[in-house]
Amino acid sequence: MLWMCGMCTAACMVKSVHGLLLLLVVHVAGYFLARLGVSELWRDIRFFLIQMVIVTGLYMLRDGIPDGIWPGIRTSLQVLLFFLPGALFLRTTPSSRIMSSLRRFMPRRLAFFVFISFRFLPYFAGEFHDISMIQQLRGVRLTPRYWIDPRNWRDIFHCMVIPLMVRAIKTADQAAMSAVARGFGKRYGKDTDSGEAE
Amino acid sequence: MKSFLEIHGMSYSYPAAKAPVLRDISLRIHAGECVCITGPSGCGKTTLLMAVQGLLKDGYRPDAVRIHPSGFGLDTGMVFQNADTQILCTTVRDETAFWPVNLGMPPDFIEDAVESALHEVGLAGFEARHVDALSAGQKHRLTIASVLSMRPGLILLDEPGAQLDAGGKEKLVRILKRLKYQGHALMIADHDLHPYRSVADGCVLMKNGGIDRTLTRIPLEYGMPDRLPESVPDHSYKTFGPPVVDVRDISLSGSEDRTVFDGLSLQVQQGEFVHLYGINGQGKSTLLRCLCGFARPDSGAIRTADVDSPRPHLLAGKAALLLQNPQKQIFEDTVFDEAAFSLKRSGLSAERIRERVMWALEFCEVRHLADRSPMMLSFGEQHRVALASVIAAEPRLLLLDEPFSGLDLDQRRRLLTLLRQLCRDRKVSIVMASHNPGSDMGCADRRLVLADGKITSESGYEC
Repeated sequence: MLWMCGMCTAACMVKSVHGLLLLLVVHVAGYFLARLGVSELWRDIRFFLIQMVIVTGLYMLRDGIPDGIWPGIRTSLQVLLFFLPGALFLRTTPSSRIMSSLRRFMPRRLAFFVFISFRFLPYFAGEFHDISMIQQLRGVRLTPRYWIDPRNWRDIFHCMVIPLMVRAIKTADQAAMSAVARGFGKRYGKDTDSGEAE
Repeated sequence: MKSFLEIHGMSYSYPAAKAPVLRDISLRIHAGECVCITGPSGCGKTTLLMAVQGLLKDGYRPDAVRIHPSGFGLDTGMVFQNADTQILCTTVRDETAFWPVNLGMPPDFIEDAVESALHEVGLAGFEARHVDALSAGQKHRLTIASVLSMRPGLILLDEPGAQLDAGGKEKLVRILKRLKYQGHALMIADHDLHPYRSVADGCVLMKNGGIDRTLTRIPLEYGMPDRLPESVPDHSYKTFGPPVVDVRDISLSGSEDRTVFDGLSLQVQQGEFVHLYGINGQGKSTLLRCLCGFARPDSGAIRTADVDSPRPHLLAGKAALLLQNPQKQIFEDTVFDEAAFSLKRSGLSAERIRERVMWALEFCEVRHLADRSPMMLSFGEQHRVALASVIAAEPRLLLLDEPFSGLDLDQRRRLLTLLRQLCRDRKVSIVMASHNPGSDMGCADRRLVLADGKITSESGYEC
């Protein structure tokens, strides 16, 4: 936990590109020390790579090509390095440890909600992927250009967000049931009847 | 012999609903007895298990369910249908310890409980493993362990066989047998009871929320039949023109250098019904994804519906995909709009759209639901609406990924009959992936086995 906060702060403080690259090397080493492979690293950083391209591209648009490149890379690296400690933390720390850390500053029930919401994020990423797959075959053009145009937002809301919300509600319901059936909330003699939000 | 669980005249209706889901249920289960519950979808099997577990809110008389104290730690424990949504923790150990930890058990007790529960389901040594690194079968066994950690006298299992392949079911039945000999009572709700024949002591057939019949053994018709009478194997496809699916020598490696496909080739002719069978984790879904361009092989060539190296938007209207859960694709206000969705994007006249949608709804036997909201339908109806919505565009290729889970045997038969007709009358090619070799009930023209990255054997049916 401390390591995570330290590394996040370091990512914000360090301004030179060399320092950031050094931090990146430390993180990659951290992944391998935690016996995680290249594929896990790739899965955690691939979305940030898109972010890096966009941020660097915007910097270059503003400051011109030679002047914009380094600030762009620096800022996007900072963003990446800010999130990597968290990703490493989630991959290496068992849920009981995360729960007990969360419980230091929030009530047990809230800690459980927060934890479960993060726990199910990858699951929803999978659902999202499935839904987009089907809708594309049904003729929705889910290209980046399509996403940006506000005229299409209503359409996207209909064919992507509604099925995703239905799935989220069902999943929350099933997860809540699983928790209640195994004594969640029993210790305090109260009944838990509210489902977790996604 | 004194019974362990007694249910006497229990009825229940959900708070907002008019009709009761359970009507006048009476049932007795002894210690060490295994009872299977079956019946058409929506007959109240799951609700009955939930009532016994005490998960239903107001509306039924609590004294209708009576559980006599036994030598076990707790009364009941429930294993739900979907492993992915009921596993809440990130490691095998934490998940197994979830129940005792919630009840505030002492650490020594938790340690022993976790060890013995994992041993019972064959997951000893997996304690520190991340749950996402488990296979489908292992995940399911973990859900049983997470209930066993408190040793409930009665274990309730909701469709435990749905996500498991033949090997997984065999392991499950072995675990169930051992639990039974230890004196646990078991209640299993499922559609295909065939796998449980060696462990079940009785069978309860439910209908419309009530108990229809109680039997001492599982009747033959509640196993999957080998062959449907409607199934007419059709080998005339061999004479048709260019294949609709042409996969040549594709290879793909997945994460951790695991080989998914290793020189796989596959041809599907027009109007042919192919059943792609493989045990869990052999890459059936990935192959379907490759066919419609959502995944790309490292090497080799794919041609789908005359499109080389397919991309999804090039295949819109030509290939259609139906996943296990119809909820993933349903969003419109009415069933009619749902089925018209892809047609509206193809620039057809309103007249033509109406004609085609009506045909698709009629074909899938959901025409009477045209003005209803698809969200409010039962699972089986949603399934047929989803099918209608993909075939309305008259695709040349229909891909189905595990289409049978959640459907009862009768609905499975109806689905297969529909698919058979699509092939024969509309010349649609079908590739259906499943983990159960018998699930095509003899309706497919060919059954292909996907194993070790290749299609290892083909079996046509003799005419």
